[in-house]
Amino acid sequence: MNPEIRIAVAGRNALADALVQAFRNAERVECTVWTPEFPGECDLVVETENRDFDFKKQLLRDIEATISDHIPILSSTLGISATEAASWLKKPERLMGFAAFADLDHAELIECMLPLQGDPALGHQAAAERAFAAIGKEVEWIQDETGGVFPRILAMIVNEAAYALMENIASPEDIDAAMRLGTNYPYGPLAWGDRVGLDDVLSVLTGLHRDLGEDRYRPAPLLRKLVLAGWLGQRTGRGFYNYADEKAKELMK
Amino acid sequence: MPNSEVITGLMNIQTVGVIGSGTMGAGIAQVVSQQGFTVRLYDITENIVSRAKANIHAQWDRLTEKGKLTAEESAAAKSRLSTTCDLADLKDCQLVIEAAPEKMEIKRDIFQKLEEICGPEAIFASNTSSLSITAIAGSIKSPERVAGLHFFNPAPLMPLVEVIRGLRTAEGTLEVLTAFTRRIGKHPVLCQDTPGFIVNRVARPFHNEALRIMGDKLATPQQIDRIMKKAGRFRMGPFELQDMIGLDINFSATKSVYEGYFGDPRFRPHYYQQRMVDSGNLGRKTGRGYYVYES
Repeated sequence: MNPEIRIAVAGRNALADALVQAFRNAERVECTVWTPEFPGECDLVVETENRDFDFKKQLLRDIEATISDHIPILSSTLGISATEAASWLKKPERLMGFAAFADLDHAELIECMLPLQGDPALGHQAAAERAFAAIGKEVEWIQDETGGVFPRILAMIVNEAAYALMENIASPEDIDAAMRLGTNYPYGPLAWGDRVGLDDVLSVLTGLHRDLGEDRYRPAPLLRKLVLAGWLGQRTGRGFYNYADEKAKELMK
Repeated sequence: MPNSEVITGLMNIQTVGVIGSGTMGAGIAQVVSQQGFTVRLYDITENIVSRAKANIHAQWDRLTEKGKLTAEESAAAKSRLSTTCDLADLKDCQLVIEAAPEKMEIKRDIFQKLEEICGPEAIFASNTSSLSITAIAGSIKSPERVAGLHFFNPAPLMPLVEVIRGLRTAEGTLEVLTAFTRRIGKHPVLCQDTPGFIVNRVARPFHNEALRIMGDKLATPQQIDRIMKKAGRFRMGPFELQDMIGLDINFSATKSVYEGYFGDPRFRPHYYQQRMVDSGNLGRKTGRGYYVYES
């Protein structure tokens, strides 16, 4: 059976790993990992860097150099706007943005955005929709800004919980229980941050803080330090909780 | 593990006073008497308090019809609930939970009177969601026996209670209230006396950031609600939820936390909230908010 869509994934983070795994498990998707020796033909390149923007800029330029002019690039906007990422390309109109955390299983819907330089007439949006439809996700098209809607709002909630924890107004278990039982959140915000990865939460906050220039988006010092320590959440065995601790494991169920 | 002093304190609680028979007070009175305590429900006029009692009785009748409460349990709960318009009738209460209007002068006045009326061992709790427990407690001679006991609406259904530690609250007071919260079938979380406590504070960005995204025209309220439910798996989107809570109630919660933190920009309300409240479209209760509700 011919693949319905051929996707190349470029990036070195948990989001790239999650996308490769999801696309490889999907029927009628041909998924390759992009390398500088990429053969050049595919329907869509997905690029996932959220932290190191020098690296992201070089990566996007390298991708552009290896693929035909008509192929669109779908770039992660957790840490930067699609418009800024597009500005680095020779053909900025080929870039689209998407905003999703690495725990893809949680989402039934992925947010996508065209940069200011984008052009709906090019028909690139259909490629993004086909790619996500192949892994069971709907797409919602929104206007371009760092962090989209859900990642932005969740990052702000996790940040507020991190401030509350840093200020020691309550224990992490009580902060999480309060939000699950008091407002019906699917997870407590600290456990949720640990699930999606604190590095990406911090990327959204630092991106908004830099791009919008407002103190409102200042990351909680505790969150910044956890990421500096490499304690990124469940993925690394430690974040707000220590997952070597049996009690914490119990709590995450 | 509760110590013996706590067990004694808790065993001593037989009669609970509830002050204020509005939605929260009546809900609390219902839960507490249903769980086996004698309850004295106070409000300022006979008319108000007897209407509240009739509503609580109707709730129990409904629970009995649904098979969630036996006829005996309902009758026993009814026999344990009495009402009064005289604060002096709360003199034999070992615990008083205040759910009066959110005005500092009203609450301080109530606690000062309770201190004169009740025994020296009695514990006083406030269900305030926006005022400082430390400030309420500071008006009486024994602030160590005052703490917050913050229930969520509707109190009979919502499992969470925030137990709030004022700056001068005694450890024993918190331990008794934590044990009491468990006894009435609720989940206690312990929190310092800070603006918005845990829930009203940490939930602010859910609303504030959604309003900001809408105001910057990055997405419509309908899109934001859809994304939050389908990408985030929240039970409701922020605009649907504001319509349900009431835009006025939600706006005043935001303002209260913003003022409590002296204007920290993380909590800054959006001007559009003010416009919506000014318009009188307050959500479901007025038939129109961010959405239109046809009856």
